[in-house]
Amino acid sequence: MNSESPATDLRQLLTERFAQKAQPGEGADWLSPRRDMAANELLQMPLPNRKQEAWRYTSTAFLEQESFQLVSEDGFEALELSDIEHLLLADDTYRLVFVNGRLIPGLTSIAEPEQGLAISNIASGASDIAESVRDQLARIGSHRHVFEALNTALMADGSVVHVARNAHLSKPIELLHISIDLETPAIIHPRHLFVLEEGSRAEVIERYCSIGESRYFNNALIEVSLEKDSELRHQRVQEESRAAQHISDMHVQQKEGSSYFLAQASLGAAWSRSDIRLEFAGEHAHAEVDGLLLANDKQLTDMHLEVRHDVANCTSREVVKGILDGKGRVVFDGHIHVARDAQKTDAMLSNDNLLLSRAAEVDTKPQLEIYADDVKCSHGTTVGELDQDMLFYLRSRGIAEAQAQQMLCQGFAQQALDAISNESLRQRVAWLLASRLGGGE
Amino acid sequence: MLSIRNLEAQVEGKDILRGLDLEVGEGEVHAIMGPNGSGKSTLAHVLAGRPGYEVTGGAVELDGVDLTDLEPEERAAAGVFLAMQYPVELPGVNNTHFLKEALNAQRRARGQDELDSVAFLKLVREKLATVAMKPELLKRPVNAGFSGGEKKRNEILQMAVFEPRLALLDETDSGLDIDALRTVSDGVNKLRDPKRSVILVTHYQRLLHYIEPDFVHVLANGRIVRSGDKLLALELEEKGYGWLGLDGEAA
Repeated sequence: MNSESPATDLRQLLTERFAQKAQPGEGADWLSPRRDMAANELLQMPLPNRKQEAWRYTSTAFLEQESFQLVSEDGFEALELSDIEHLLLADDTYRLVFVNGRLIPGLTSIAEPEQGLAISNIASGASDIAESVRDQLARIGSHRHVFEALNTALMADGSVVHVARNAHLSKPIELLHISIDLETPAIIHPRHLFVLEEGSRAEVIERYCSIGESRYFNNALIEVSLEKDSELRHQRVQEESRAAQHISDMHVQQKEGSSYFLAQASLGAAWSRSDIRLEFAGEHAHAEVDGLLLANDKQLTDMHLEVRHDVANCTSREVVKGILDGKGRVVFDGHIHVARDAQKTDAMLSNDNLLLSRAAEVDTKPQLEIYADDVKCSHGTTVGELDQDMLFYLRSRGIAEAQAQQMLCQGFAQQALDAISNESLRQRVAWLLASRLGGGE
Repeated sequence: MLSIRNLEAQVEGKDILRGLDLEVGEGEVHAIMGPNGSGKSTLAHVLAGRPGYEVTGGAVELDGVDLTDLEPEERAAAGVFLAMQYPVELPGVNNTHFLKEALNAQRRARGQDELDSVAFLKLVREKLATVAMKPELLKRPVNAGFSGGEKKRNEILQMAVFEPRLALLDETDSGLDIDALRTVSDGVNKLRDPKRSVILVTHYQRLLHYIEPDFVHVLANGRIVRSGDKLLALELEEKGYGWLGLDGEAA
């Protein structure tokens, strides 16, 4: 290969980072064996290509066109709250701010967590988190593709959140990722682990923002462990720069009687993908996913969702809405797997798409794979344009065409918006949606 | 106030209105009757500016303003309101939000100040009583899951809130049981005003028992073929449309 042409060699990144062991953020010794294992795994894995079913509609050609570099210096310690004021939520949260992947203590407000909550960042080695808890890192689920292995091998910072038995947190934990343009585009590996003990309840807000139209590649990996009867409300909003790439992978494991509510809005980035895997490991657990995928002109927004009903008596409901404009592309792959012993499973999966332009493209594939015989499962998908009768109805009431379109899109997305339980976040997403649909971006 | 002269209109390339003349004075209630396919509903939608309903000739003026060049939203701001036969359901669009956005869009277009939330809610509460509509329906998405009667009431609520110069009621009686018909008619009657004109499009005389028109017109083959007072409606009720000898005119 011509060394002049910009391209990202993922294996080269490994070599670089492993050559500089002394980097801050390498974490504690306990992480090293896992990094090494992931690095070895990565070397055995094929790079994503369009011949693989999971990547058939989602090209990673941007890796060939951009030379992403690992961020080695921080340099953002001096940032003040006033610099990121426009990104802050009105509500009080336990806020961790990561700038280009590194925790910025000055912007972070977790100094006095309430009883039952422990938060630590990975760069510090998460040494104040119980060994049995942090030990779950990189142990929930296995690496499905190179990006996941790369994250484990190269993670520089992120968080470990532990909620103690029966603790009901009084305010949300907010993980705010901000990217700022660097001279060479950065590849960043945010990593988070949430462990909720039996009977506990928490709300996590995970956000990806940028300052300016920066170029970078966020490769995030999140692991969630929900013990018996615990409940997590997880709200993820991706509003990356329109010049960025973003992949966020997630592994959620649910024990008996636990509940997981995910509301995800993917609005930004030139290219984004989320690989979400929910696994029931105990009976009578429940999961809900409400997704909103926005693809404006030349934007690709991908969601891969896998729900594993491996045990009996669990319920899941997944509703994902896509809105596309210009030459936008949405890829949705939803897969519910019901194992032979998973009797009395109740699972529902749907994906509805609204095309505002004839040039937009949706590739949607909802699938049910059922091996049990006493289950209630359904899936459905729709692709449609704005309803002309609805549009005329609004216009005949005095609402101009552009606003009428926006109201109908908002209406289409309403269920996904309503699923965002934090009010100020919900308002922000509604505002982002309205402004991005308005042709602003 | 409303002056329609020699109006011709097409839908999907087919001539529906073929030289229609109608003068509606301020505060008057006109009923447009006629057999199915005569162009009654087309007239209502042409006046409201529905895309696909193309005016191919003639003129429509409201208070001296040519409506045919205006977008539907501009006509609404000029005071045209169409209560639809089949009000559309708008999933996810909150009814209160919709009403407020619509009213304020009209007010903005007319150069009036927008109403703030407090003033708006006060106005809506007043108007709800006019149409005897359940306040819960305001919190739901527009028309979504509403019964037939609730949808028609919601239309009349909008009419009450927008206070149009010209209200077009397209088959407002269709699908209503007798109680709902009475409430909806009461609502319309309360909104009769010396400054407001109403055009009732209806197939049946039934509605005219409740909303008494000043004039009745019979539309056939895209033209008004007979005009009279409310007695004409009674005659139609009794004899049907056959005695007008319309069949011979069919294209």
